[in-house]
Amino acid sequence: MPSTEEIKQRIEAALPGSRAEVVDTTGTADHFQATVVSHAFEGLSRIEQHRLVYGALQADIGGAIHALALKTRVPEHTP
Amino acid sequence: MSDSQFDPIPMAGEAPVAEAPSEGSSEIRDAIKQAIAEHELILFMKGTPEAPACGFSARTVAILQSLEVPFAAVDILPDARIRQELSALSSWPTIPQLFHKGELLGGCDIVTEMYESGELEAALR
Repeated sequence: MPSTEEIKQRIEAALPGSRAEVVDTTGTADHFQATVVSHAFEGLSRIEQHRLVYGALQADIGGAIHALALKTRVPEHTP
Repeated sequence: MSDSQFDPIPMAGEAPVAEAPSEGSSEIRDAIKQAIAEHELILFMKGTPEAPACGFSARTVAILQSLEVPFAAVDILPDARIRQELSALSSWPTIPQLFHKGELLGGCDIVTEMYESGELEAALR
């Protein structure tokens, strides 16, 4: 079972400079909600943004992660 | 069926039908392509609009119904290969998937965001 911390780390590792907030929505470590903020999303459609995040978790999608509600956005201020 | 978006995709050996997987799969993929081409707005979902089998599919149906736009719906549950072929075709791992004029608009999260911002209504009208 992946923890919220593991999912956060995998997303942030796959998208350098990104910030991910991950919540276990059911307390059962299989339904998650993630909000990801990354410059990598700039200029991409929402579909492409979500595909990047799914790509980071690929091995677990369909396995340990049953559901992942996803929100992606580009940071409002450049760091 | 729970509200799970991700059912494990069965291995070839677990396919529910005994026929050669490649042959059946390519027929299913062609049928999916044809359905997407033939319907301006088509939702691949778990269950039916009348009886959604997943919370994410139910929410997407409710949004489309609230906009009063006609849409076709395909239940992906009866044969695991529908899900497998659809995701291979769309490069999108989750269900539901909403297609408009042949293009993937998104899953439940994107459809919900587009609905809340008014983009969905603008795109579909």
